Parts: sequence; structure tokens; C-alpha cells
Amino acid sequence: MASLGSFLLLASFVVSAYAASVSVVGARRRSRRLIESGVGAFYMVAALMTAASAVMINAFLTDDYSIKYVSHYSDSVQPLFYKITSYWGGLDGSIMFWVFLLALFGAAAVYVNRERERELIPYVVTTISMVQMFFLYLMVVHKNPFSTFLTKVPADGSGLNPLLQNYWMAIHPPSLYTGFVGMTIPYAFCMAALITGNLDDSWIRAVRRWTMIGWLFLTFGLTLGMIWAYEVLGWGGYWGWDPVENAGLLPWFTATAFLHSVMVQERRSMLRVWNVSLVILTFFLTIFGTFMTRSGVVASVHAFGDDPMLARLFSIFMVAILTFSFGLVIYRLPLLKARNEFDSWMSREAAFLANNWILLFSAMFIGFATMFPTLSEAVTGTRLTVATPFFNKWMIPIGLILLFLTGVGPMLAWRKSTLSNLVDQFMWPTITAAATAGLVWTLGVRLWSSGLCFALCGFVTATIVQEFWRGGKVRRKNTGTDIFTAIIGLVGRNKRRYGGYIVHVGIVLIFLGFGGNGSKLEKTEQVQRGKTITIGDFTLRHDGVKVSDDGQRQMTTGTVSVFKDGKQIDTMYPGRSIFRKHENEEARSDVAIRRGLAEDLYIVLTPDVDFGTQTVSYQVFVNPLVDWIWLGFGVLAFGTGIALLPERAYSFAMAKLPVEAGAAATTVAMVLLLVLCGAPSASAQMTGAHQPNASLAIAPPKNALEDQLRREMGCTCGGCAHEPLTTCTCGQAQEMRDQLRAQIDQGKTHDQIIEAFVGIYGGQQFLQAPIDRGFNRVAWLLPYVLGATGIVAIGFAAVKWSHHDGAQQHEQAPALDADVSERIDDELRDLD
Amino acid sequence: MTHRYIKIGATVLVLALAFAGMVWSTLRDGTEYYKNLDEVMTNPVEWRGKQLQLHGYVVPDSIYRSKTNALEYRFKVQNNPAKGGAGESGSIINASYTGIVPDTFKGEAEVVLKGQLTPDGGFHVDPNGVMAKCPSKYEPKSGA
Repeated sequence: MASLGSFLLLASFVVSAYAASVSVVGARRRSRRLIESGVGAFYMVAALMTAASAVMINAFLTDDYSIKYVSHYSDSVQPLFYKITSYWGGLDGSIMFWVFLLALFGAAAVYVNRERERELIPYVVTTISMVQMFFLYLMVVHKNPFSTFLTKVPADGSGLNPLLQNYWMAIHPPSLYTGFVGMTIPYAFCMAALITGNLDDSWIRAVRRWTMIGWLFLTFGLTLGMIWAYEVLGWGGYWGWDPVENAGLLPWFTATAFLHSVMVQERRSMLRVWNVSLVILTFFLTIFGTFMTRSGVVASVHAFGDDPMLARLFSIFMVAILTFSFGLVIYRLPLLKARNEFDSWMSREAAFLANNWILLFSAMFIGFATMFPTLSEAVTGTRLTVATPFFNKWMIPIGLILLFLTGVGPMLAWRKSTLSNLVDQFMWPTITAAATAGLVWTLGVRLWSSGLCFALCGFVTATIVQEFWRGGKVRRKNTGTDIFTAIIGLVGRNKRRYGGYIVHVGIVLIFLGFGGNGSKLEKTEQVQRGKTITIGDFTLRHDGVKVSDDGQRQMTTGTVSVFKDGKQIDTMYPGRSIFRKHENEEARSDVAIRRGLAEDLYIVLTPDVDFGTQTVSYQVFVNPLVDWIWLGFGVLAFGTGIALLPERAYSFAMAKLPVEAGAAATTVAMVLLLVLCGAPSASAQMTGAHQPNASLAIAPPKNALEDQLRREMGCTCGGCAHEPLTTCTCGQAQEMRDQLRAQIDQGKTHDQIIEAFVGIYGGQQFLQAPIDRGFNRVAWLLPYVLGATGIVAIGFAAVKWSHHDGAQQHEQAPALDADVSERIDDELRDLD
Repeated sequence: MTHRYIKIGATVLVLALAFAGMVWSTLRDGTEYYKNLDEVMTNPVEWRGKQLQLHGYVVPDSIYRSKTNALEYRFKVQNNPAKGGAGESGSIINASYTGIVPDTFKGEAEVVLKGQLTPDGGFHVDPNGVMAKCPSKYEPKSGA
């Protein structure tokens, strides 16, 4: 299998090289056939990478420890889900996964734009193929994920890092990589536009949407990273300015800047050089971020380790990108001249420019500060590190200015705002801000940054509400419907603008969460059994500590009763896990979090545990408003989704719907919003339903069959993470164990018992992983499905390739029609 | 036109200088020196009062916990690994710390301590300033 994987990678490299070169030649000779061939080869790379991924996942599922990568990141006791996600758990695999995503994304982008941007496509293919070639080269010569042990094959793997065995971490890297990869597409289009000189504003339109998609995934990835840090690392926070976190943030800043400044280009044909530079810079920063975290240039807790060879290869690649890209920009400078000038500083374009400068400055500042230890060592010979306070000192004011501009920008008119405009637009928001400031002052917030943050949140919210309200009122007058329907119609008519506002609402909520950080409480105390810790409004009673083991890890779990106003409101179980094969490493904190919209109670069991006297130390945090960050992301994603909706889909739906249906849509939207808001509180209650009993001792299994069945069955209370009966201590689990014992005593066989349980529970939900049914089969099928897809795609490409001449003539005419209508659509859209 | 460029140039210059100044001034209290114990102990007076990240190894059996406050630690740190072959420990310093220590904090552990030198020649560790170094969190140890 390993050699098949290596071969697929090598084949991908060769086919990429072919795609890159044949496209250039085709474009220069204006040969339709060569260009088509290049595009076909490009699709082929996607197919080959899909097949290679299938081989990799298959290796993980079948525990093929002859492959070094598999043996390093997996082991036999690892749950199925983490076996699959181990694919991107390490350096080599994550590079491969990256290429896989890039190939898929690139193929999709080329496929979607193949008619509309016909001129650009060959160079887009070339650019993306070159990037793929770089990463494939890395793998083939230096970091082959399929490399095998030459001599002794280990009997078992060493297991994925315990810190990564968390569902957030399982989806965080794919999301972040998708974001990174998404930024390659705009770059490719940008390069193509520069090379061909087709620098009218049409390429920008193709790019905008892809940047938005990339941006959404990047934001999602960053948010997931924050949730992971919050839930797993157990230091009470979610962002530590760690180099790896910063690496993801750098391109986020420049991409955000681009999404704003692109509007200025569309409206006013200004900032053209600027936009091109931002696209290039964003792509560069994704590569730079990867370089920073993978090569060991910057020391970090998350970094993958030291690798000078990788550092050298990356440096060459980055220098090549910068020289080539900016060389092209300089060469095309005459074509990139702005067609307008600034009229006034009191204009929206000026506000956007200010926002751009600040975002760019943030990116440069964070880049500088992250590299500072390395830079200082290189220059002075002394390694100076910069700590969190340094970042905070800078980024708090910068963040607040950005928040302020979020409110101001959309209120200003294009070209120039008059004084009466300003008074009219800013009166209510300013009043709201002042009122919010007064309110938080009376509530006892004394920290200037938090107070200002809340006031600005009020300000921005007021501007957005005012925009919706005024727009809705006008539309209601014109269409004669109620205000809600009018607002929905408003959003539908100008999705980008109002989608953007919804994104801003998300940003405000996120800032609300940041602002709450100022009133965070923290306490570390050693307690004996029965003694209490008081923090904020909460009183916590330590009720004991116990050890359990589930085969993969040994868990130490404390039991804490939570009291508020003298009444017990919850019981929490902070713990620590030591994983097999990772005994020499730091244990993983299993943080207990009691979520709430107002504040989270966050308890960490520290290593200071004495079982004899039942004395332990807890580190306790009260984190106000944290959950608004995650909620804010939900709103932000919703807004981005609206902005991304294809124009035709929406107008089609709207045209078909009568007026009442519009109102129904409103209701649906409101319900969705409520569900969205309700979800966290529901999950907060869920932890209440799971009532483990710490003092409960789990009776040892009677025989091997019982032990096996206990492992296969999971607790069905719905509160715990479907823990196996070997470890779950809640009442439900105890009842299930009793049932199981009764069945065992009757002398039934394994299958009979399972059948009996299916009868009792009316389904298979009690099983940990249905052994040969349901999800398990799906999971086992995954690599084969992927592999088959890859092979089918390769086949299709081959067939299409061999006789594409005939097919072409048919498709051409209708495609042109669609093209023209799309353009007319585009132009009409710009008129309103 | 030239007049305009001068204005822009001057603005950029002033802004750049202001930023440079601010970065410089905030850097001074935001930075920490990453040093090995020996490097500091050659001239301790020079490093007194500066924020340090001190790298060394815990001296075996030197960890002492206070009877009155269980979270109060005293321990010794030496420059070289305890199993460093020739038995040379390099410089040794007394460290004091109050708070939670990592699981891997024990005799012979490789540590990085955040804190400052005290006038009596010891080392005071900041809250949460004990970091036990693991070989690597992501890569398995070579030969393991």
C-alpha cells in the first residue's frame, strides 16, 4: 500500500508539472487543445490526490504500522474517528492533506469559471499547479508520508498526541487549511490577470467570492482553535498569542482588508495596486505561516519541531513568490492606475482605507512580534521573547479602533459626507454608545478597555439597526408590506451589503466576549474533602477524587458541587488524563466548564492530588461572556452565507413566492435565530442531566464476555460523552451494568445479549460503535469510496481527454448565452 | 504635485517614527530574556531586576514543599542535566515559587522558569512561571 501511495504522489507531481507547462504553452500559442489538455491534467491531479488520501486513510484504518507516519500518529486503541483524523495530525500528512484540498478547490474554481474567465484559466491552472508542485516536491524528496520502516516494523503505534484527541481539534486543521487553500485561488486569478494584462475589474469579481469562502473557513478555523484551546489546554483562556495561532491570524487580517478595499475598487476604480498587493500578500502569509510553524524557526508549544531542510526549501519558495508576484505588479503598474482620486477624508473610501491600514498594520505587527525572538537572536545573539502583555498592549487599542471603524465606515457616504449627513447618521449611535457606557459604569466595570469595548459594541449595533430600520421603512413604503417582510426583501435585494452588516453583528458579539475578559476571575486553592472555595457568586465544595481507567488512558476525576445563593445548582467533574504511551508527558486536563450566556464557570484539576487524604488543588476561573464569541461566529457565518448566496437562486425563489411566503420566511428566520440562541443553553442543561456518582464503585466484570460487552456499550443518558460502561459512573450506566449482569447470569451469548438490549432500548444507540453496521461500516467504507471516486474521476478525465473535440462544438453556444446573461446580471446588480 | 508628495512623505515619516517609538517603549517592559543558568550566573548583578526565562534542570531531591501552604515550593536548579555524564552540574541556584506545578515537574526535569533574580542570590518565580519542557508535543522522541 505504501508504495502505491508514494507512486500516486509522484504521479501527481508529474501531472501537475505537465498541467503547468502545457497551459502556458497553450495560452501563448492560443491553442485550444493544449489549454484543454492542461485543464484535464489539472482535474487529474485532484483525482490522484483523492486516491492517495484514500490509501492513507486505509493505512490508518487497517493499522498498517509499517508506514512510519501511521505508527507515529495512531495506535490500536485509538477510537475510529481519531484514526481518520490522524491523517492530518502530523507534519507530513498535513502537507499531503493540504495538497489534496488545494487540488479539490482548484479543480472546483477552474470548473466554475472555465467559461466566464476563459482568458485567465490557463494561467490559473499554471499558478495553482506550481504551488501544488512545491508541496508535492516537499513530500516526494523530503517528507514522504508514505515512507516505511526499512527493518523492524513496530507492533503498535505510539498514538496521536492526547491534546489532539478532541473533536474540535479534529475539524480545526481541515477548516484552517481550507481557509489557507481558499486564499490560493484568488492569488492564482490575480497572477493570471497580471500575466495576461486583463486588468479590468472583472477578474476581481471572480476572486471576491473565493476570498469570501476562504475567509469564512479561516475564521471558522480560528474560532475552532480558540474553542479547542479553551476546552483542552486548561489555562482559562482561548488566545495566547502563540506563534501558531498568530500564523493563522496574519492572512485573516489581509484577507479582511481585501474584502473591504475590493468594494472601493468596484465602486470607484481606485486602490487597484493596493488590492492586487493584498491578494498576493494574503497568499504569501498563508505560506509564511506554514513555514513559521513547520520549520522550527519560531519556538512554540504547538509547532511541529525543528527542520532546517524544510526551512530552506520554504525560504526559497517564499522568495520566489515575492519576487515573481511583485515583479509582475511593477511590470503592470501602468495598467493598474487608479481612475479616480479621493474627494474627502469624510468619505466611505477613506474609512475603508483607514480600516485597511490598520488591518495591514496589525498583520505586520503580529508578524514582527512573532518573529521577534528569532530576529533578536539573529541580530544581538540574545534570545528575547515577547510576552502576552506586549501583544495585548498593542492589539487592544487596535481592536477597539477597528470596532469603531466597523460602525463608522458604512455610515459615511461614498465620495463625501456633508455635515448634516453626519449629524443625521451618528446621532442615535452616539447616544446609544453613551448610554451603554453609563450602564456598564453603574454595573461596576472600571477597566477602560472593557468599558470602551462595550460602548463601541453599542455604537456599532445602533448603526446597523439604524441601517436596517431605515432601509426597511423605505421599502415598506414602496412595497406596502410589513416591516419584517420589507427587511427580508431588503437583504435579498442587496445581499452583499446586508450580509456584510450581519457579519458586523457577529463581530460585535465576538468583541462583547473579548470585553468580558476584563472582568475575569481566577483562583487557585488547595482543598480537603468537604471544604469549599468561593469565587464570584459561586461556592464550590470538593466532594472527593477518584481514579478510573478505560484502556486508553487513566483518568483522575474530582467531584465538585456548585452552589449559588446557598442552593446547589450543579455538580462538576474536572479531571486529568494520562494516556498510554504518553506517560512521560504532561497529563491532559479534562476541564469542567459550566456554560452560561452571562458567564462560564471553568474548573481545572491541577496535578496537586493526594488520594490518601483526598486533598486536591483546583484552579477556578469565572469567564464572563465567553460564549458570545462562539455565538458571534455563528452570526458571522450566517451573514457570510447570505453574502455568498448566488444571485439567481435567491431572486428565483423570491419571484415564485407570494407575499405571505415572504412573511413565512421571516418566521423561519426568527425561529432559526431562536434555535441558534437556544442551543448553548440547552447544552448547558445537558450537563445537568448526566449525574455521575463519584462514590459509586464500578463492580469488576465477572468474565471476559462481560468485560468485552461493557467496552462495547456506552452510557445512554445523553449527558456524558457516550462513555463506555467500563468508566461511566452515572446512574444510567449503573442500571445498564445491572441489566448486563442479569443477561450474563442467564448464560446468553454475545449476540443474544446485544439482541436483548436492542429490544430494551429500541435501537443500537447503546453500542459504542456498531460493530458491523451503521456508522462503522460507513467509516470503513470511506477510504474505498474516496479511492473509487478518485479512480472514476481519473477514468472520466481520460475518456474526456481522448475525444474532447467532438463534444466541444455542442457545448459552446449555450454556454456563451449563460455567460452573457451572467454578465448582464452582474452589471444590473451594480446599478442599485 | 511636489508639495503634495512632501506632505505625504512628512506624514508617513512622523507616523513611522511615532510607531517605532511606541514599539520600542512597549518592548522594553514586554520582553523577557531567555537565558541558560550559567549565562546568568557569570554576572548575576547585571541581570538583577530584569525579567528572565531561565533554562535549567531541577536538582534531584531538592524539591521542598512548605508545611503551612502546600502550594509553596522551594527547589534548586542546575545548569546541566543531572545525568550529564561527568557529574558536573554547572551553576546552581535556589528558586522559590507559589502555585501549581506541571505533572512533569520533578527531580532532573528540564524546566524554564519565568521570574527575577532576588538580591540574596536566589530566583523568584512568577505565578504560573514554571514550564516543564517536554521533548516535543507533536513529534515522538527519536529512538523511542
